[in-house]
Amino acid sequence: MINLTPSRLWIMRATFTFLIVTILFFHLLPLQTAADGLIWPDLILTFALAWSVRRPEYVPATLLAATFLLADLLLQRPPGLWAMLALIACEQIKVQSRSLRDAGLGTELASIAAWIVGIGLGYRLVLALLLVELPSIGPALIQIAVTVLAYPLVIATTHGLMRVRKGTASDIDGKGGRS
Amino acid sequence: MNTDYTGPLRRLILVVLVLMLTGVFLIWRIDSPRVERFRAQVTDSIVPNLDWAMAPVTGTVNLIRDFQSYRRIAKQNSELRRELRQMQAWKEAALQLEQENARLLDLNKVRHDPRLTFITGVVLADSGSPFRQSVLLNVGARDGIVEGWATMDGIGLVGRISGVARNTSRVILTTDASSHIPAVVQPSGQRVIVAGDNSAAPPIDFLENPDLVRPGDRVVTSGDGGVFPADLLIGQVAADPGGRLRVRLAADYERLEFLRVLRHYGIEPVSDTNDVLRPAAAAMLSEGKDE
Repeated sequence: MINLTPSRLWIMRATFTFLIVTILFFHLLPLQTAADGLIWPDLILTFALAWSVRRPEYVPATLLAATFLLADLLLQRPPGLWAMLALIACEQIKVQSRSLRDAGLGTELASIAAWIVGIGLGYRLVLALLLVELPSIGPALIQIAVTVLAYPLVIATTHGLMRVRKGTASDIDGKGGRS
Repeated sequence: MNTDYTGPLRRLILVVLVLMLTGVFLIWRIDSPRVERFRAQVTDSIVPNLDWAMAPVTGTVNLIRDFQSYRRIAKQNSELRRELRQMQAWKEAALQLEQENARLLDLNKVRHDPRLTFITGVVLADSGSPFRQSVLLNVGARDGIVEGWATMDGIGLVGRISGVARNTSRVILTTDASSHIPAVVQPSGQRVIVAGDNSAAPPIDFLENPDLVRPGDRVVTSGDGGVFPADLLIGQVAADPGGRLRVRLAADYERLEFLRVLRHYGIEPVSDTNDVLRPAAAAMLSEGKDE
């Protein structure tokens, strides 16, 4: 199994940052300047959640907060709100990660879907309460739906290509003393 | 093991981070311009540095798209020939009108507004989100760009500048939900607002008499409000299946590549109406005072 040396830890953190910057890069490419384009899933959120379930130590809260805030700034969202909600979701998932690790894939998918829908609706609720101009509800709901649907694919990529996998029981026992 | 992620230190860090992010959001809500300036600076420092990578990737994707369109080339060719025949008729008409126009302008000794010049910028990035319609240009405060200036492609209005940093500026497109442009429908001359709603064809608002407007009428900016110069082409009126009147935009939004930012120094207000209306009376009045 993977040995969690400090260098490995930092390499994986850097990999996560690079991954997020790459996603932002593709979002920003000037390819979709016309309205009525495709609605993409929120890949940044799904990758952050998938990594939080599998290897919480690769995505510390500070790194998550920084990347989410950067995404808010670059993607013209109200800065801070989405970042805050996504951070809370990821941290809660980390707390549950132990039980999610032991439970099956179904439980994980259900839990993640609940969080994605929850923060998606919470985001709109807060914007509505503070009288901020809301994006129209149709595309927003579609985006929540495609984000939930994209999650299994993101898990597959994370598991297969990036080799970020759930720690096994022996692995966790071996690293039990880490604080 | 869970203590790793729920220990008091981690909890503290999380609380501090959440408070900071909430703080950023509240500051944005209270003092939006300051945070938007900060956002523009962040974008300005990141996006131009990615340009070396973005340009080739964008080029490649467009090449693949073009290749897909080559497969339909025979069909396109016949369509183009047909269009070309129509265009030749139009060209003839346009040439005649141009000559006539030149003669009339010469007779009137008209000079076009010499201050209405433009700066051309290249589109660096789009908004990256389906809920916002905007693009980032590679010209900014360094090139004298000012907030609010109109932006066109070769043909029609594209949007207005909103957010200027040193090297970049953001253009809010007319399709964005926050875009409301005062316009005139020609030839009936009715004043309307073209209000974006994130769809490809923005609807027409505040139309007084819909009976006077037909699909195909031209929609141009009215210059009301003093943000845009008057008479920039926006597009043509079209009716959607629900019967609502919308504007089919003249600019080609599929491929925004080079945009012109029009320098515009505002419309001078007419303040001496009294003189304009009755110069003789005004003169007499002032004479009367002198005595």
